[in-house]
Amino acid sequence: MKEFDIISTRANRIDTPDKATGRAVFVDDISRPGMLYGALLQSPHAHAKILSIDTSKAEKLKGVKAVITSKDAGSIKYGVSPARYDETVFAIDKVRYVGDEIAAVAAESLDIALAAVDLIKVEYEILPAVLTIEEAMKDGAPLLHEGSPKNLCAEVHQEFGNVEEGLKNSDIIITTKMKNKRQDGAFIEMQGCIAEFDNLGVLTLTSSTQVPHYVQRTVAMVLGMDIGKVRVIKPYVGAGFGIKASANPMELACCILARKTKKPVKMNYTRDQVFMLARARHQFSHTITTGAKKDGTLMAIKHECWLDGGAYTSFGIATVYYTGSLLGGPYKLDNMSYDGYRVYNNKPACGAQRGHGAVIARAAFEQQLDMIAEKIGMDPLELRIKNMMETGDTTCNDLNMSSFGMSECIEAVRKGSGWDQKKGKMPKGKGIGMACGFFVSGAGYPIYRSDTWHGTVIVKLTEDGGTALVYTASAEIGQGSDTAFAMIAAETLGIPLENVRLASGDTDMGVDLGAYSSRQTLMTGHATKDAAEHAKRQVLEVLAEQLKAPVENMDIRNGFVEFKGAAPDFSELRTRYIKEHRGWIDNPTSEKLSFKEASRIAFLERGSIVGTGKYKPHNLGGKFKGAAVGTSPAYGCSAQVAEVTVDMETGQVTIDKITDAHDCGKAINLTSVEGQMQGSVSMGIGEAMHEEVIFDKQGRVLNHDLAEYKIVTSMDMPKVEAIVVESDEPNGPYGAKEVGEGAIMPTIPAILNAVYDAAGVRLNELPLTPERVYNAIQEYKEKNKIK
Amino acid sequence: MLLPKFEFHEPGSIKEALELKKKWGSTARFLAGGTDLLVHLKKKIITTDHIISLQRIESLARITAHPDFVEIGACATMAAISETPVIQAKFSALKSGVDNIGTHLIRNRATLGGNVCNASPAGDSLPALLIYKALVLLESLDGKREVPIEEFFKGPGKTDMKADEILTGFRLPNPPVHSGAHYIQLGKRKSSEINVVNVASFLEFDPKTKKIIDARIALGSVAATPIRSLKAEALLKGKIAEETSFYEAGEKARFEDCKPIDDFRGSAAYRRAMVGVLTKRTLTTAFKLAGR
Repeated sequence: MKEFDIISTRANRIDTPDKATGRAVFVDDISRPGMLYGALLQSPHAHAKILSIDTSKAEKLKGVKAVITSKDAGSIKYGVSPARYDETVFAIDKVRYVGDEIAAVAAESLDIALAAVDLIKVEYEILPAVLTIEEAMKDGAPLLHEGSPKNLCAEVHQEFGNVEEGLKNSDIIITTKMKNKRQDGAFIEMQGCIAEFDNLGVLTLTSSTQVPHYVQRTVAMVLGMDIGKVRVIKPYVGAGFGIKASANPMELACCILARKTKKPVKMNYTRDQVFMLARARHQFSHTITTGAKKDGTLMAIKHECWLDGGAYTSFGIATVYYTGSLLGGPYKLDNMSYDGYRVYNNKPACGAQRGHGAVIARAAFEQQLDMIAEKIGMDPLELRIKNMMETGDTTCNDLNMSSFGMSECIEAVRKGSGWDQKKGKMPKGKGIGMACGFFVSGAGYPIYRSDTWHGTVIVKLTEDGGTALVYTASAEIGQGSDTAFAMIAAETLGIPLENVRLASGDTDMGVDLGAYSSRQTLMTGHATKDAAEHAKRQVLEVLAEQLKAPVENMDIRNGFVEFKGAAPDFSELRTRYIKEHRGWIDNPTSEKLSFKEASRIAFLERGSIVGTGKYKPHNLGGKFKGAAVGTSPAYGCSAQVAEVTVDMETGQVTIDKITDAHDCGKAINLTSVEGQMQGSVSMGIGEAMHEEVIFDKQGRVLNHDLAEYKIVTSMDMPKVEAIVVESDEPNGPYGAKEVGEGAIMPTIPAILNAVYDAAGVRLNELPLTPERVYNAIQEYKEKNKIK
Repeated sequence: MLLPKFEFHEPGSIKEALELKKKWGSTARFLAGGTDLLVHLKKKIITTDHIISLQRIESLARITAHPDFVEIGACATMAAISETPVIQAKFSALKSGVDNIGTHLIRNRATLGGNVCNASPAGDSLPALLIYKALVLLESLDGKREVPIEEFFKGPGKTDMKADEILTGFRLPNPPVHSGAHYIQLGKRKSSEINVVNVASFLEFDPKTKKIIDARIALGSVAATPIRSLKAEALLKGKIAEETSFYEAGEKARFEDCKPIDDFRGSAAYRRAMVGVLTKRTLTTAFKLAGR
């Protein structure tokens, strides 16, 4: 492998000084002269017909500048996947969940806007609401959407190989169920936005989003504008985890208010509105049957899953496919079937969240692997090694593992955790468990059907020479992508990192599908490398002309031009450069020709040196229905070992340590990779241990704040030993691939397997609250007649 | 969620505060740390026209050790209480109670008086005050009065404090020699938690006979107010201080003394079971500390 100067180091993040000193600007820090404040009227009912809306009192309130309803917003449907558009900005005939948007107000202050919202009078006819899958599927249940009988939003049926045959040839067959709870992303920054029109009719929307590109398209479509007249800017963002990966109704309402008032309008969600909008991880109910041979060879998986979808599709059509497609790997398996169902009901819509669709399926399946290992008396780690896919393998549903350091990950956690010394040798109440997982490195296809490039990047060298400007529409949302692309640009150009300046998150800078499906490092990374190579090539071409030396004999490294063999005489170029800088004190004196000199000369010869880069994946996947979902140019993979203590009297589980190894291809920034691993573990622990959105019987969220929705605190976080396993991904820029989502895959099942090892109980429902674990222990004691 | 509008008063003395309270009556609220009050105002759980801040009345924040007792001002913060040597030395169960409230940021603002006036059945500092036999010190323009803490709580959010009174502080008698106390809270996560069950126990024993002289057990989150576990306490008196006694006391507390309900934080059955476990555990530790 090539020696690198910048990538694969622990370079300081370029956003750290701003964030550490409070200078980083988020939406909430921004205001505009004459700016108005917007507020939403949202449904208090889970299901109701709207008979009438009277906005007259609200409009009369002093300071109110506009009140809008579906009359202003129109009936254009939008959503995530074009084939599944089922939302309008404001409810037209009925509301489908507590929080469904009905109207919005813009006023001189937030106080006034909120008071005006209270003055809007809506007459409802309450309809019976369905809040669970069971209620929604009942004969005669009220329907949320016309054309979706039985409230079935989507169903998927797939079979690869021959599952019946596979199970027939199995010696051990295990069937289990597994259920999680609806999650909230619990990002720190609640969504907010500012919409403003300039005098030429151009709309700029500044928003806390992961996907400026998709927001731009949705806003343009819903407002009936040219895409070129809509600019979306993403300032610094306090995370998203998938929930901010599509346009939200507040953004659209804000743009319509700005159009109507001709003033900038700012809107923010409160924390309870974040819970109302939801769009985070579904509740999944899995039934999985897995067959294996006595020697541990996996034979077949039969998989059924029901997704509690909420009132709209959102990302759900992708979710229900991902749930099936990402199960079989990272193991060799010829036979796999999947029946997935996503059901509408009168709760907020679920969507995508870190580890999209695949996390709970993995929690079920990886426990079954341990059960099989126990039955045949095999170390569960060895069972996994025995079945592990290798580099170049393709799953039965056509996912190709072009690099795959899975075995290295297993060996790393075996060693890091002291597995061989601990497994089977821990005292009662203490346990150790492991699991594996894999995830896409970017969705193989955009959300809308298109041949579009997934990312374009521009690298412009400043005219004085010496500094490279990188422009990308990608989304830095806290994960460190700006730093990664600056590092890739610097590495490719052959200049120090501090000589790169990067701007991102603006649709005027190009196309980038955004921060979702763990795509940016590979895809935007490729486009950045491509753009930097293009800029560098132009500089070297000018040098070749000027020095009459072959271009292939030159390169740039660490800010200097390197020549193969003896360096040609470049004194004329240096003299020319120095003449340009009469009176300056930093004239070059080095023995080598500097990049600064070379790029200045290039500008003098050719004008501005601009490199453009682009990326889209090659054709991926099979021909079956839904084959696109789950495809990716590369897959990250990981193994984790969890060590836990279970208090046998109270059911409290303490996670003592997580040993985590992840194959991210070539790590662009080692510290950022470890950060993603730590963050994934933290989110996995939260979901495993205490996170759960709870509703009352009216469909209202009961725990709509971070006091009662319990994410992990620093006191709950164990020591995490993060081991970066590097492979060389042929489809990744410099061999890089994902880490942001794959790293969450093994966390939950590793904990569940450790709890079984400690307490002898298998839990098929999350979260592992002390009460749930206590009840399982009591049941176990009664069954086994233990006092 | 915006803070509603109100008039803000900042008196410099207790007398001045009481005069303001008399003037505005039930339309006014006292502000100590604000960690409950401001949240309730934002969530529109309560409304008020006047806020009377007690933060400038220095005497209310004092913690003073006397030969036989300690006095803790109502506005002493949880962080200050936790760091006070006499609390650490003699009232360790109170220290662990206040250490379990919220986060560092909250403990730097939240006050003991505020926690008591908020009167949540799950309040972290309350069981310790019960087992240490705290006296609640109240003052009005008409004079002062003292109320034993177990008579002070009247229901969730309700106390014995009158509309014209200020809670000025607490008096905690020094625990006898050969005594110890301990507090344990149980929630879904390890910090920033609203308790599912919380228990504090106090134990005094005769080192010669090993017999229990006195025991007090306080249970949180299992009734409308924090309560004393009187039957379990009675069972312990005169018994030998040992694991089986503590277990029996736990079972007594579990089945006869507590009245938990089902809610989204936990079921009544689980709460009962945990009352048993935590009572046993707090007594065991209290006994260990008593024998030091």
